[in-house]
Amino acid sequence: MKQPLADTIKIGFLAIATLLVNACSNDHTLSNLDATVFVRHKGADMPAYIKGNANEKIFLITLHGGPGGLGLGFRGNAFNQIEDNYGVVYFDQRGSGMSQGNYSEDDVTIDVMAEDVLALVNVIKRIYGNDSRFFLLGHSWGGALGPATLLKDQSEFLGWINVDGSHSPKDLYFEYIRNFERVAAAQIELGNSVPFWESVYDELDNVDANTVTLDDFNQLNTLAFDAEEYLNDDGIINNAENGNVKVSDYNVLTFIWNLLKIQSILDDDLIGELSFTERLAEITLPSLILWGRYDMVVPEFYAQEAFDNLGSSEKKLVFFEKSGHSPMFTEPNLFAEEVIQFMNQNK
Amino acid sequence: MRCKLRLLLLCLFQFTFFSYGQNKSKNQTTNTQLSESFLDRTECKVGFVGTVFWSNGLSVGAEYLWKESEKTKTRKDKERTNTHQFLFNGNLGFVTNFSSKTDTGAYTNFGLTWRRTNKKGKQFNIELNPLGYYRSFLPETYEVNGDSVDKIFLPGRGYYAPSLSAGIGKQRKGKVRSGSYFNINYTMRTPYNSGALPTFSLQYGFRFNFKNKKQ
Repeated sequence: MKQPLADTIKIGFLAIATLLVNACSNDHTLSNLDATVFVRHKGADMPAYIKGNANEKIFLITLHGGPGGLGLGFRGNAFNQIEDNYGVVYFDQRGSGMSQGNYSEDDVTIDVMAEDVLALVNVIKRIYGNDSRFFLLGHSWGGALGPATLLKDQSEFLGWINVDGSHSPKDLYFEYIRNFERVAAAQIELGNSVPFWESVYDELDNVDANTVTLDDFNQLNTLAFDAEEYLNDDGIINNAENGNVKVSDYNVLTFIWNLLKIQSILDDDLIGELSFTERLAEITLPSLILWGRYDMVVPEFYAQEAFDNLGSSEKKLVFFEKSGHSPMFTEPNLFAEEVIQFMNQNK
Repeated sequence: MRCKLRLLLLCLFQFTFFSYGQNKSKNQTTNTQLSESFLDRTECKVGFVGTVFWSNGLSVGAEYLWKESEKTKTRKDKERTNTHQFLFNGNLGFVTNFSSKTDTGAYTNFGLTWRRTNKKGKQFNIELNPLGYYRSFLPETYEVNGDSVDKIFLPGRGYYAPSLSAGIGKQRKGKVRSGSYFNINYTMRTPYNSGALPTFSLQYGFRFNFKNKKQ
C-alpha cells in the first residue's frame, strides 16, 4: 500500500507544480507577445492580455463595450491582422470579465475607470520601457471611456480610434427612436422583414418619447440588437465572422455576474446623463472614426457628431456599408486595413 | 362549551397517542457505538474539483466521523435500514484555468457533513462549510499609485468563501479505498469587486481509510 500512496502523492505534487507554472508564465518576446498581466489600481485587479508584434514598441490599447464586456471579445480576423503589425492590449475593465478586487460601488465611476486605463499605460511602460507608444481604441461603451481617458491625459497617446462608440449615452435613447423610425420606413419600403419593422412602430408606441427611463432604454437597446439580426437576414449587413475568444478564456458565470453588477452600478450614471459631445473639441489627437452604416445600437448620427466635434486637425470618418454595430467582425479586412493605415501614418 | 373543549382534548390525546404508536412500529433509530480510535473514524479524500470548461484542479481533505445512527423504516412491509452520519470535514484545494491564467486559486474550508448510506452502500450527502477561505493567484501583477508602478510579489486576493455541497457516493465497506463521491458545490467569494461572487463547481473523488485492510 505504501508505494502506491507515495506515487499518488508525487503525481499530486507534479500536477500542482505544472498548474503553478502554467498559471504564472508569460512570454514578453516583443515580436510575438503573449502575456497576461494584471493592473492593480484603486482596489481592482484588472487583466491585460498583451498580444501581437510590438517590435516597434507601439501598442493599441482596446476598450471593450458594455459596460461589462470582454477584453478578448475583439479578437478575430481583423485583430489578428493588426496583431501581425502592432502590439494589441486587450483589457478587462474594472468589474468586467475576469477582473477582481475589493472596492465599494462608489469606486465604480467613469472617472476611476479612465484612471485605470492610464494606470495600464504606466504598467506597459514599466514592462516594455518608457519609449513605448500607444494608440487608444474604444468600441461602443469604450467610445465613452476613451474620451473620458483622453480628457484626463491625451499626451500618452498617438491617436484615437472610435469604433461605433457612444460618446453621448445621454441622448442615445432619443436617437434610438429617430433612427428606428428612419430605418423601419426604409426597410418597409424595400419590402424587407416587413412584419418585424411594423412591430418596431408598436414597440416605439410603448415607450415614453419624451422622458428616458432605464427600462425603456433597455427595451430599445434589445430591439436594436434584434433589428441588426433582421438586417443580417435580409443581406443588408454581412454575416459576422466568429471571434477568436475561446469558451475556456472566460468563466461564463463570472462574466455574467460581473456584467449584471457593473451595469446595475453604472447605468444610472450613463443613460440619460453622460455626454462628452461638448468636450470632444478638447481632444486634439489624430482620430479615426469607424462606423457600421447600419449600426442600430449606436446609430450613425453619432459618427458624424464625433467627427464634427473632435478638435483633431487630422481626422477621418469611415462608414462600413455592410456592417452594423461591430464592423471588425462583418468587414474584418477593410477594418484592419483602416486601423493599420491610421497607425502607420501616425506612429 | 366545556363539553366541546373536553372532546377536543380527547381527540388531541388520541391523535398524539396513536401517531406515536405508529412511529414506534415503523421507525426505529439506534445510535451506533463508535470506535475510540481517531484513525478508525477518519477518512482521507482526494479528487477532482472544477468546472471542466473554466477551471480544473485537485482537492484533498479529511472527514472525522462524529456521530452515527441506524434508522430502520418499514415501508410497504419491507424493512429498510439506512445509516446516518455526521462528520467533521476539512478540505484543501487548488484550481486553475489552463487557458487563461486569470482563474487560479487555492482554498481551504471546514464544516460539517451529513451523509445517509443505504444497505447497498449508496450514499447521499450534504456538506456545509461555513469556514472557508479562497486565495486567488494572479500572474505578473503591477500596482499603480499615482506615477509609481511596483511589481507585486505573490499577487492575489483573499476571500471569505463559505460553501455548500450536495451529492452522491458509493461506500466500499472495509476497504482502503473506502468510497467515492460526486458533489455539486456552491461557493460564495466575498468581498469580490463591489459585491459577492457565486461560483459553482463539480467535485469527484475517492475516500480512503488506511486502517482498513482490504485493497
